[in-house]
Amino acid sequence: MKTYNKEVLYGLYNDEHDMLKAIREARAQHLEIWDVFTPFPVHGLDNALGLTESRLHISGFIYGAIGAIFGFGFMTWVFTRDWPIIFGGKPYFSAPAFIPITFELTVLFASVGMVVTFYTICGMGPGILNPTLDDRITDDKFCIAFDTTNASEADEDKLRHFLNGSGAAEIDTKNI
Amino acid sequence: MSASVSPIRNPLVTGNKSYHDITEDICSPTERTPTPAWVLTFILAVAGLALYVFCVGWTIYVGIGSWNLNRTIGWGWDITNFVWWVGIGHAGTLISAILLLFRQKWRTGVNRAAEAMTIFAVMCAGQFPLIHMGRLWLGFFIFPYPNTRGPLWVNFNSPLLWDVFAITTYFTVSLLFWYTGLVPDFATVRDRAKGVRRRLYNFLSFGWTGSAKHWQRWESLSLILAGLATPLVLSVHTIVSFDFATSVIPGWHTTIFPPYFVAGAIFSGFAMVQTLMLITRKVLNLQDYITLEHIESMNKVILATGTIVGVAYLTELFIAWYSGYIYEQFAFYNRVLGPYYWSYIGMMSCNVLSPQIFWWRKLRRNVMVTFVMSIFVNIGMWFERFVIIATTLARDYLPSSWSYYTPTWVEIGLFIGTLGLFGTLFMLFTRLAPVVAIAEIKSILKDGGDQYVGPEVARKKAAETTEAH
Amino acid sequence: MNQFTFAARQKTVLIGFMVLGLLCLGITFMTDDQFHTRFWTNYLHNSVFFTGIAFMALFIISAFTTAWGGWFVNMKRVWEAFSSFMIPGLLLMLLVVIGLWGHFHHLYHWSDADEVAKDSIMAGKAGFLNKNWYTFGTIIIMGIWIFFYQRIRTLSLAEDREGKGIADGYRHHKLIRIWTAAFLPIAGFSSAAIIWQWVMSLDAHWYSTLFAWYTGASWFVAAMALTIMLLIYLKGQGYFQSLTADHFHDLGKFLFGFSIFWTYLWFSQFMLIWYANVGEETVYFQERMQNYPVLFYANLALNFILPFFLLMRNDNKRKYGPMFMASLFVFFGHWLDFFLMIKPGARHTAMEAMHHADGAHAGEAAHHAVEFAMGFTIPGLLEIGTMLGFLAGFLYVVLNTLTKAPLSPANDPYIGEATHHHVWPYID
Repeated sequence: MKTYNKEVLYGLYNDEHDMLKAIREARAQHLEIWDVFTPFPVHGLDNALGLTESRLHISGFIYGAIGAIFGFGFMTWVFTRDWPIIFGGKPYFSAPAFIPITFELTVLFASVGMVVTFYTICGMGPGILNPTLDDRITDDKFCIAFDTTNASEADEDKLRHFLNGSGAAEIDTKNI
Repeated sequence: MSASVSPIRNPLVTGNKSYHDITEDICSPTERTPTPAWVLTFILAVAGLALYVFCVGWTIYVGIGSWNLNRTIGWGWDITNFVWWVGIGHAGTLISAILLLFRQKWRTGVNRAAEAMTIFAVMCAGQFPLIHMGRLWLGFFIFPYPNTRGPLWVNFNSPLLWDVFAITTYFTVSLLFWYTGLVPDFATVRDRAKGVRRRLYNFLSFGWTGSAKHWQRWESLSLILAGLATPLVLSVHTIVSFDFATSVIPGWHTTIFPPYFVAGAIFSGFAMVQTLMLITRKVLNLQDYITLEHIESMNKVILATGTIVGVAYLTELFIAWYSGYIYEQFAFYNRVLGPYYWSYIGMMSCNVLSPQIFWWRKLRRNVMVTFVMSIFVNIGMWFERFVIIATTLARDYLPSSWSYYTPTWVEIGLFIGTLGLFGTLFMLFTRLAPVVAIAEIKSILKDGGDQYVGPEVARKKAAETTEAH
Repeated sequence: MNQFTFAARQKTVLIGFMVLGLLCLGITFMTDDQFHTRFWTNYLHNSVFFTGIAFMALFIISAFTTAWGGWFVNMKRVWEAFSSFMIPGLLLMLLVVIGLWGHFHHLYHWSDADEVAKDSIMAGKAGFLNKNWYTFGTIIIMGIWIFFYQRIRTLSLAEDREGKGIADGYRHHKLIRIWTAAFLPIAGFSSAAIIWQWVMSLDAHWYSTLFAWYTGASWFVAAMALTIMLLIYLKGQGYFQSLTADHFHDLGKFLFGFSIFWTYLWFSQFMLIWYANVGEETVYFQERMQNYPVLFYANLALNFILPFFLLMRNDNKRKYGPMFMASLFVFFGHWLDFFLMIKPGARHTAMEAMHHADGAHAGEAAHHAVEFAMGFTIPGLLEIGTMLGFLAGFLYVVLNTLTKAPLSPANDPYIGEATHHHVWPYID
């Protein structure tokens, strides 16, 4: 089990709209949210939290380009330099016949690369166990969490008060 | 905030579900002890698998001579089965990727199972090219790697090699796509489990927490993988069609093959999804998630793709005449009226004519009719591949080498055996993983579930306003 | 502004361009060879291209309606207006038919009875490639299309006037659904038949089973591109204010996706013919690669590479500048695609007929390098002018139809979805 060495104060909401409202309010009050956990991708959550757009697609484009160049380049090298053979009266450099494999490698590189990148940057993978706050977060609870490791008692009270006022059904702290 | 939904749309999830109900309904089949029906089906499937193992063993021990192929007909049931299975796999990617891009929200009810079906079908498909090579222990020759044979590279100009790349890429990407979708749902199962099962799902869920940033990346990843999988799925069956169409054999060499194979693949895949889901929804009590709306939508896709395939059949037939090329004309004369006329009739009636009953709404929404039709289409699409492969080969340029082909028990056993392999994997899947995508169903509940909006609410509102007037 | 008014200035400009088009056609006719090949090919090219776009617009409405699409209904009036061009389109094609009967042109090799008699392949096709079928096919098939257009359009307008929404169970919409669903298979079969007659038979010996689908995809992309350009213009004029960046994003996705789909069909057809290397088939591409190299490669560059890179980014699909640019190139690109489908075959037919008239050995000209000729090897100014004339005519009909109904179909059951349309991840 991994650990973040954090003390976390969190509130569980029963409805995603209550949670979204609370997030907007918290941001308006300049309360720093550590993280938000939901059972499914809530639409509009990125904007409410002010998350920057994911750049995963850029990595995908780069992996794909590498795959395309590698595939096409490799076949060209094999058939024009390393071991030129004429098949079925085609020229050594028979570009149309290289397209299918080039395409497959483009897709393969882009997909595998992106998936590996995704798990790496999210800190996930086979056998990895990240700490969770509550088992019901993957079921039907929406959780807003504040980092209170170095927070003063007054700050913590303020956060607790905020969670209470914004409709959190349950409030708790946990060391993870 | 929640999106506006037209009053004429029916709910995608029925039964007034809460988020917790969804978790409960979909996770519980993995938590209960298996039902007798499941055990019985599983035993049957494993028996099929045993038959498969035996027949593969026999083929390798005796050699390809145990099949009834001959010098004229070099491809028979083996490649027919290969193409049939690959085709079936395509519906999973279509439902999960193409329908995602087209924002057809009803896909959420069936995409998980359809993707699983894709992966298992591709596994079944992959067996046939491997064993039909005869000397299976030299199978690794198909991969390009530096070797001491020259170094002699594989023939990158050969469509058969393109197949190797296409099928392996397709399998890998489908698996990644499917598993990435499964990870949050495995986490849901994990958080309900105890003991050994908890440890198992700890491992399977990759440490998923449900953090907002992770969800954002997850959605982005799903969308791009869908964008990649869409041309990929087209390319795979296109390349399978190239196996035939790049040749100069009349009846095989025709330019319509790529899109027509893809349409046929989607057609047969949807039929297989229907066959499986009609049983699964009954056995696992998922009628609220895989509703009649879902079945009707899939039947519409079957009708549409069946008709596209019909256009292609007639195009081929017409252009064969139009070409003015006697060999092409003979190949098609032979398909319709030659020794394998019965398989052409089977293909036409199962694929083109019988799906036309789905023009009637009543029949589209009839579970029994749908089930029977789905079997019909599966049979019809098998015939289509058989027509293309065996019929074409049976009558070549030299009348002296004309031949006829019937399978041996080994070939039939192999086919039934792959059904067992497929069944075994699918039965295990229904025990281990949530068969409906939990997180995705939850995300559409508020614009597709009947407790929020839907025709009932809209109708009530309309009634109120008319009363007020 | 829910009611479009066709401004006098717009009319003047469009009529001006139409006059320019007529002028160009006239000049082409005067300066042409004895068969007026350049004139007739230009005429056929533009007639087929714009009629096809009109047909595709109806196909798009039908496909989207059948798939229960909701996002597009606040722009469906534009596609209805596009399809209204099928009526003038039929008249345009009828002139080709008249020319066929009156021997005014030598577009189609098979229309020459002497040639067919000498040519066993064409004689074999005579059951399909003959004047009767051409006439019958054009009139009946386009008649069916126009009939479906009238039904769908009438119902759509009736829905606007009389529709009572949920109270009458969206009666009109349900009827539209039936008509559009029925149109899809009919369109699938009939468009193939008509494409074989109009376009593929220009190369009378050559055949390809994929050709009809390929041509259809070309029409589809051209129709999308023209839609985007027209909507951007109309939005700039203050109409269609309910269309947001999200709608353009989706149109952009269609333009992007179907450009790739077109490329896929192009590649499938080309690669299979290249690979199998059967002389009867390769002659089609051989001719185009050797005698029309600029167009051959420009076709791929404009219709695949350019939209692929321009439209890959989501941001670009939401901006009017890049979208307009991409649409402009793609529209022109598909016009070139049709140019490349039509000109080489018709030119050979004419050259053979001319040799024949001169008493030289027929067939001499075929399969040899042909000289550079303006209006054939590349489109000249006269071709561009003619195209602008046809485009102006097309737009005149479209804008005129737009004035006849409110721009927003108020009683469509999906209008709420269309006006609140958001594309992930641009939500909220």
